[in-house]
Order: sequence, then structure tokens, then C-alpha cells
Amino acid sequence: MASKAYAVTGMTCDHCAHAVSEELGALDGVTGVAVQLDAGGTSTVLVTSAAPLADEAIAAALDEAGDYRLG
Amino acid sequence: MAEHTDTRAVDLTIGGMTCASCAARVEKKLNRLDGVTATVNFATERAHVVAPPTVTVAELVGTVEKTGYTATPAADVDDDDGRSMLRRLLTSAALTVPVLALSMAPPLQFRYWQWLVLALATPVAVWGAWPFHRAAWTNLRHRATTMDTLVSLGVVVAFAWSLWALFLGDAGEPGMRMRFSFAASGADEIYFEVVAAVTTFLLAGRYAEARAKRRSGAALRALLDLGAKDVAVLRDGVEVRIPVGQLAVGDSFVVRPGEKVATDGAVVTGSSAIDASLVSGESVPVEVGPGDLVVGATVNAGGRLVVRATRVGGDTQLAQMARLVEQAQQGKAQVQRLADRISAVFVPAVLVLAAATFSAWLATGAAASDAFTAAVSVLIIACPCALGLATPTALMVGTGRGAQLGILIKGPEMLENTRRVDTVVLDKTGTVTNGAMTLRAVVGEEPDEVLRVAGATEAASEHPVAAALAAAARERFGALPPVSQFAALPGEGVQGVVEGRAVLVGRRSLLAQRGLAPDERLGASLTAAEAAGRTPVLVAWDGAVRGVLDVGDTVRPTSAEAVRELRALGLHPVLLTGDNARAAHAVAAQVGIDEVVAEVLPAGKVAQIARLQDAGRVVAMVGDGVNDAAALASADLGIAMGSGTDVAIEASDLTLLRADLRAAATAIRLSRATLRTIKGNLVWAFGYNVAALPLAAAGLLNPLIAGAAMAASSVFVVTNSLRLRRFR
Repeated sequence: MASKAYAVTGMTCDHCAHAVSEELGALDGVTGVAVQLDAGGTSTVLVTSAAPLADEAIAAALDEAGDYRLG
Repeated sequence: MAEHTDTRAVDLTIGGMTCASCAARVEKKLNRLDGVTATVNFATERAHVVAPPTVTVAELVGTVEKTGYTATPAADVDDDDGRSMLRRLLTSAALTVPVLALSMAPPLQFRYWQWLVLALATPVAVWGAWPFHRAAWTNLRHRATTMDTLVSLGVVVAFAWSLWALFLGDAGEPGMRMRFSFAASGADEIYFEVVAAVTTFLLAGRYAEARAKRRSGAALRALLDLGAKDVAVLRDGVEVRIPVGQLAVGDSFVVRPGEKVATDGAVVTGSSAIDASLVSGESVPVEVGPGDLVVGATVNAGGRLVVRATRVGGDTQLAQMARLVEQAQQGKAQVQRLADRISAVFVPAVLVLAAATFSAWLATGAAASDAFTAAVSVLIIACPCALGLATPTALMVGTGRGAQLGILIKGPEMLENTRRVDTVVLDKTGTVTNGAMTLRAVVGEEPDEVLRVAGATEAASEHPVAAALAAAARERFGALPPVSQFAALPGEGVQGVVEGRAVLVGRRSLLAQRGLAPDERLGASLTAAEAAGRTPVLVAWDGAVRGVLDVGDTVRPTSAEAVRELRALGLHPVLLTGDNARAAHAVAAQVGIDEVVAEVLPAGKVAQIARLQDAGRVVAMVGDGVNDAAALASADLGIAMGSGTDVAIEASDLTLLRADLRAAATAIRLSRATLRTIKGNLVWAFGYNVAALPLAAAGLLNPLIAGAAMAASSVFVVTNSLRLRRFR
């Protein structure tokens, strides 16, 4: 079990948080996603997964979800 | 590029987007579909999707919904509405005819007729009148009463009463007949024919109105269709044709003579004249050379240009104008319908009257059932059947007469909107003037020779001024002598050899370079033409200036009279143009307008309309160009010249099919006459029923009187509307 916090920019509302959780949650091995929203600023996203994930995979999922980036 | 040839555009209305990121997210998901290009606008909650036929609209909607938002096809909403409304109308009408026949003709009333009538009228009352019930309910929650409230109330009360009479009263007895006497009504009267007829008549009215309504968005599509479809991009010096959508900022592309400029950009090489009248309203073509900026969708009237793209897609001026039109159309407040305004007072009044009737009957010692009967009768008779016909019939006759006079009226909302139009804003180019370059005069010792020689020289050029000269010369002399050693001097003029004479045609500056100056007389007419905002050219051969050709846009012959007619209607005319102040004032003086606003950009035109509206004026706008579209949409009454662009026509409320400004005055008179008729109709539609109200309150209403009131007011309304046919 691995947990890692990511700083994510570009999130402005609960919709964004929902979108990000959904995309990250769909990644292989991810068991939990928690978003602490800082609208317009840098939000914190805590991802729990069976095995550590590559940052690229996270970044790709964020991009998939919308206009969000690792900060 | 085969897969791009049969793509189609779909507009979706997206719901549930709360921030710009949402829009980006929807856009991304849509674009991920195979062959789909989508742009999502957060502010307007719209997605513009270009998709190949393999992708269905359902798939697009599904994709948006999977992303967590709602989507409805924007363009199809109207059509669906129209179709379902027509189905509702036809079904209701088919059911209503036997109901009316049975109810109004006692000989047809067989033993159990009332039960057949119930069976026929029930779907009409519930399903047919559903739009009215729904709207009434919505309004009720907002504590408002409209025409829908009145209709819904009338239908529900009449239906409920009839049900009660059938099942609990005496009307259900076999062999019951409608009584045709002025006796106090009671529990044996049924009003199914009122239910059915009111519903059907109002549905018919609604359907006619809906069909006349503008298809919003059509202006935008027409506007975006103006742009070039594909473009020749230079890739390593080789021209490659790609769809405009794939063009990127920084790409260099080729614009051949006669082609549209693909997108906003700066000229790299080449020089030409750009006809930007569509976009800027400027009547004189703009000369461009390396470094100059060109606007997408304008037409290259001269030579080959290589342009570097500076803005693409949604950033271009064309796209910005599309947004202006969209905003103007959306910002136009929905004016409350006249019938709704009356209903807002009428409905509460009727409810009060019904309550008063009930109390009065009780107070005079009548039985509660009689008091109730009278109160219900008041509610039943209050709903005027002809109400549904008042607006549509007048509109149909008015628009029909308009079409005969060359005036297309788009919808009822503008008529009810423009009762008090007191200011008319006129676009210059293409509205007051013809909007095309024409030869106005030739000055010189031998004017014919000057025109013949100049026309022959210019015949080889594609410049709009040259084209006007060559056309004028050909019209006068037929075939023109050939020109040799022709050379176009971009932005200056042309030279060539005609019949052994070295001819120079061009601006004063070109001739000055060659050491040629016009004599005093020619110089004076040159200066006069320039002062009037026109584009005069000099013609020289064999070392001397031979004449001046005065070229410019001409005022339509009927424009001055049209301005007088508009004034006579009590309208204050204002001339509004993107052209320079000199040209504007010259035209204004010719047609008799004192207020001139010149050098206005398309966005500025909207601002000018808003300025007048803020000053308390009700503004009509007459225009023809793409640059007028947003102003036409935001004016209280937008009138487009039929000779103008599709964009202007779609954005307007009225279209003048004749290229004659006098039609604008006729249009305003016709609008006023139509509106007067609508008002008269409403008075009569309500009048007959109001007249029957005392009978109802006195408990004397029976189905015969209800039917007579409906028929009489309907006939009157239709007859009154038909009077509009005599409008001239």
C-alpha cells in the first residue's frame, strides 16, 4: 500500500475535484483518492494505491480529467 | 482529406458547467472521439461540434453525460418542438370536430352521446392542453398569471365541472339532451366542447406562432460559413491545401485573387486590394502590402498574397463578431406578450369575480350548489377561445401582405416590441447607398475618349475601381481596344499602351511621380470628389493629364424620399457607418440626415444602439452587412436589406426584399398596422367573453351561450385580421 500527496493546479470547483478523483481512481491499482480543494490555487490530492505510481501516469490522468497539472 | 468532406456541425447546449475548467473538460472529452473537433463555450453554455457521420449525436450527448454534464442538441430543439406541437394540434383537432358536432347539434345526440364526448374530450383536455397546464404551473410557482394560466384554468374547470355533472349530476342519464334555453343552468350541463375547442384553437395559434419564430443560431451559422473552408499553406515552400481548422498561428498561407483570406494575419509578400466591405463596412477597397494586417473572410480583389496567420479559430475578428451577434440575440430581453400582459390582470379579476359571485349567491339566500354552479360558470366562460387566434391570424395576414410588398416579417415578438420606435439608425454602405463602386462622372476635354482609353487600360486589372471603370466603358462603347505592356502599380494605379498611346491611370500621387499634374479645372473636380469621400482617378497619356474619372459608391435614388417618409412616421434618422466621416457627411447631406456617426467598428455599432436605447429611444436599425449583424440583433427592430448578407438577414426581424430604403418606411407602417389589428383582436376576443360574464354570474350560462361567444369572437377576430390584406 502506498500513499502519496500531489499538488495539483487548475482546480476551481467541486466539479473539478470530482473529475480528478474519477480519473485518478480509474488508474490501475488505485484504491483511494482524496482531494483537498483550494479553488484557483494549488489543491492537494492524496492518492492511495497498491503499488507506487509513476508521476507521468498521474499527470496523464490529470490531463485526461481536464486542464489540471501537477504543481 | 476524404474524411473531412462530409463532416457536419452539431451544436449542443451543455448544462451543469460551473467553471471554465468544466468547459475545458467537456471539450477534451469530445475531441477524443474519432474525427471530432469540438469547441465549448462556458459563457454561452454551448458546444460547437464538427463530427463525421460515423459519430451520432447520441454518442456526443452520451460522452458529455459520461463526463458529468447534460447535453441537448441545440439546433434540433426547435424542430422537435415543432413536430410534437403539430402532432398535438392535429390529434386534438381530429378529436374536437366530433365533440363540437355532437354538442352543438341536438339531432346527433344519440342515447349515450355524452359518454362518447367524454371519451373524445379527455385526451384533448389532458394531453392536448398539457403545454398550457405545464406553463400555468410554472408561472404559478413564480406567482404570475399569463395567457397559459387562463387557458389551463378554463380547461380544467370546464372539464372538472363536466365530469362532476356526468357522474354525480343529471348529465349522465341516458338520453340527456342539451337544452337550448336561457334557463338557470345546473348539474345537467356539460362543457366538453368548450374544453376541446379552446384547447385546439389555442394550439393552432401557438403552432402558427412557433413556425414564424426566428431560428436563433441561423445568423451565427451564416456568419461562420462566410469564412474560407480550406487554405493553401506553404510548407517548405510548397503549397499544401488543408482545412482552415488545421491552420496554426505562424503558418504562412497563399491568398489568390478572388479568394477569401483564410484567417487574420499579416501580409508577408505581395500586394493587393482587399475588399473588406463585408467586415468593416468600408466601401473603398483597402490597399495592402508587406507588413499590413488583413482580416479573415475578406476578399482578395487584387494580386497574390502570402499571409502569415496571427490569429486562428475563436480569436479571429470573424469569430468575435459571431460572439457579438450571439450575445446581442441572447441579451435581447424577451418581451412579454400583449396577451400575457392582459392575462396578468384579467385572471386575478376573473378569480375575484368568481369568488364574489359565489358569495353574492349565498348572501341572497341561494342554495350552495346554485352558488357554486354560477361561480364555476364564470370561470368557464372567462377563457376566450379567440385569444389563441388574435395574434397569429393578424400576423399571418400581415406577413402575407408584407411578402406581397417585398417585406419579410420574422416573428410576432418584434411587432409587440416596436410599438414606439422613434429612432431609425441607417447603415450607409449598401443601405442608403448601392454598396458598389460605380463611375459617377467623367471630367475632361474629351470625356468619351478619356473613358474609352482608361476603361481599355483598366480592363486588365482586377482592382474594384478598375472593374467599375472597365464596366462603365464597356457599357458605353461595347468592345474596348486591347492593351499591351500592361502593368499594375499596387496601390497607385495602372499603366499600359492603348492604340499606340502610353496610358497612365491612377491617383494624383502616381501622376506626380511621373511629373504630371492636372490643370486647374481637373484639379478642382479631383479635390471635390475626394472631399465627398469618393475615389477619383486621373487619366494621362502622351505627357498630359486628360481627365478625371469620379468613382465611388452612389446613393440609391430613392433614399432621400425614404428618409422623408421615415421622418413623416415620426422617426428620427441617424446615419451610422464604419466609413470615414467625410464620405458619411456627404451621403447624409444628400439624403437629408443631420445626425451622423462615422468610423464605427462593428462592436461600436452595438454600443451606439445601446447608447440611443439608454437615452430612452426605441431604435430601429436598417443594415445589410456582416458588420451590422450584431447591431441589427440588438436594436428593438432590426431591418435587413435583402440585397445584403445572409448574416444580416438572419440577425434581423424584418427583411426588405427590394433594394429600396422606402420599403423600410412601408415595413414600419405595416408593423404598426399589424400591431393595431392584434390589439383590436384582443379587445374583441376578451370582449365577447366579458359580455357573457354577467350572464354566467347571474347563473344563466349554458353551453349554447358559451358556444356562441366562442364562435362570434373567433369570426370577428378572423374578419378583423383579414382587413390587413388591404394595407398599402
